[in-house]
Amino acid sequence: MSPGAVPTVRATAGRELMEFRRGRFFPLLLGLLALVMVLSVVVAAADFRIRLADYNAYVEALRQSGSAVVPAPGQLFPLQLLRGSIEYLELLGALFAIIIGYGMIAGEKQRGTVQLVFSRPVGRFTLATGKVAALAVIWCAAVVMVFLVLAAAVVTIGTATLQPADAGRLALSAAAAWIYLMLFSCTAMGLAALCHRLGTGLVAALVLWLVVVLIIPQIGDTMDPDNQVPGGLFRSLDIAKADEKAVLAHFSAFEGARNGLEVSSVTKLFERSSFAFLGVKEEFNQQPVSTVWAAMLPYTGWLAAAFAASAGFAVLAAGKRNLLRREP
Amino acid sequence: MIPPAASAAPPRSGPGRFAAVVRHELLASARERLPQVLLAVFLGVVAVSGVIGWLTRVTVTAVYNEALAEGLTDRPNPFGAVPELYYLRNTVIYIVLIGALLAIVLGVRSVLRDRRSGTVDLVLTRPISTASYLGAKLAGLSLWLAAVLAVAAAINVAAVSIILGRLPAAESAARMAGFYVLAWVFLLPFAVLGMLGGLYSSRETTALLVPIVGWAFLTFVLPQLGTAAHPVALLNPVAVPPAPGGFFRLSGAVFGPLSVTEHFKKAGGVLLQESQEYDAVGPAWAVLVLFALVTAAVLLATRRARLLGGEGQQR
Repeated sequence: MSPGAVPTVRATAGRELMEFRRGRFFPLLLGLLALVMVLSVVVAAADFRIRLADYNAYVEALRQSGSAVVPAPGQLFPLQLLRGSIEYLELLGALFAIIIGYGMIAGEKQRGTVQLVFSRPVGRFTLATGKVAALAVIWCAAVVMVFLVLAAAVVTIGTATLQPADAGRLALSAAAAWIYLMLFSCTAMGLAALCHRLGTGLVAALVLWLVVVLIIPQIGDTMDPDNQVPGGLFRSLDIAKADEKAVLAHFSAFEGARNGLEVSSVTKLFERSSFAFLGVKEEFNQQPVSTVWAAMLPYTGWLAAAFAASAGFAVLAAGKRNLLRREP
Repeated sequence: MIPPAASAAPPRSGPGRFAAVVRHELLASARERLPQVLLAVFLGVVAVSGVIGWLTRVTVTAVYNEALAEGLTDRPNPFGAVPELYYLRNTVIYIVLIGALLAIVLGVRSVLRDRRSGTVDLVLTRPISTASYLGAKLAGLSLWLAAVLAVAAAINVAAVSIILGRLPAAESAARMAGFYVLAWVFLLPFAVLGMLGGLYSSRETTALLVPIVGWAFLTFVLPQLGTAAHPVALLNPVAVPPAPGGFFRLSGAVFGPLSVTEHFKKAGGVLLQESQEYDAVGPAWAVLVLFALVTAAVLLATRRARLLGGEGQQR
């Protein structure tokens, strides 16, 4: 930005992006996230190979015993190897998104540059809008990079072949991931601007992360009757899948409350849509992308609405008045 | 002539000064509003977990009775005779999730508070060693954590008593006491990690986030390497067994001992009658105590200059 120029949204976004390119913190966090996500692919691929080896040994034992019965082999659906990676994105990605969003405001306040920016004829929400735009670009680049690394990991470490339709599935998951991460960054940015002390904003964002990402899904998971016994309640009672649904239909109020609690967390909205796009959830595995997209519209719709609300919150909270307010 | 007693160097520390720092730490921690938010979440969730446990058990029993009435199963009810402490099973996971974060935040704020206000410079002008000062702060934090866990235990007792319609049996009470001692040992190193974050970081953000990222690695990444469990599955109160195969045997041998959260879940599960993996209790205690001792030793070895104004102090 030249000294005499009036700061615009584009100029402030450009300034934020330049700051990011110069910093070492974000590449470190992103590298860490990519590393654990790739490690998860390594673990999933090793697990599949071990199960495949067990199957081959079992078939060989059957053949030697003279049995003609050959059980169906386990099939590798490459994108299912990404389940753990998506879960890391849910947990650690959201945490890192909070750090980035908080840093947008904390850096500005700690450097004392906010007074300088607002000494120019700049709109009340121009700086905040520029910051949200910068976040959008940063997370877009980061998500594209992470998903490219994951696709490469599935092909090389998982020794799998990706089909053309898998590109669409990965793209939809990446889009959901971008919305999810933006949501946390915008919320943290808004909280950092809104709270009188920066530290309070950070802890408020961390408490939100704890409740939304960890506690609500954990309570929902705990309330699932099938999760009460190792291996599953219905399996332990020898109840078939169709009968399971019939039995659970008698407990629709409980199940409805449990499901309502789960989907009140954006983490579950992201998880359910991503698992469906990638075919991690069996009922959507190998289904046409358009079918899965249509089925997931309620989840992606709510996720997008939550993102829009958080972006609006970030812009309104990080207005001129809050940014210029001094810490007590 | 100066008498010998007066010419000798004053003692670097003493019980009185140690106790004064402990008292100050207790008072200051109680006044901190931010950890209080986490504390409220922790105690609230501990209280709710008993209700959820009861509600889930009632529902599962109704599901079983329905399946039995429809002739879909002839198996015995897996929840026919659950132990008294069944309703506390989620407390294990809330200590791993919220308790550890609370300990980290307390540790960070404890050190940064004194560094920012300049109290540490003033205190260290007195004849007190760095190790004594940090040890006293840690003692204060550990007492504070013990008080928090005592309140959580009281909530647990109240929840179980309401559900059962009577007080828990003596054995259950003893098990609960053992579990909360274990939880205290488990939380101490996280408070130390928070203190180290406050000592070695020039910014509050980094001071908080480095130990939190470390906690996330201990909770999610290390256990996955040895068990092949999905990260979200690690939020289950039951510890995940090692996966079969050479790869996981090796990674489990390397990373298993470092997975302190899984060790806590294993030993906690046995104490709360969630599992019968008695062989895991001894090693779990050993790992947790060692973790606490190593982190405390690192803290107490901090150089005096690190605490004083020169090294990365943010005001």
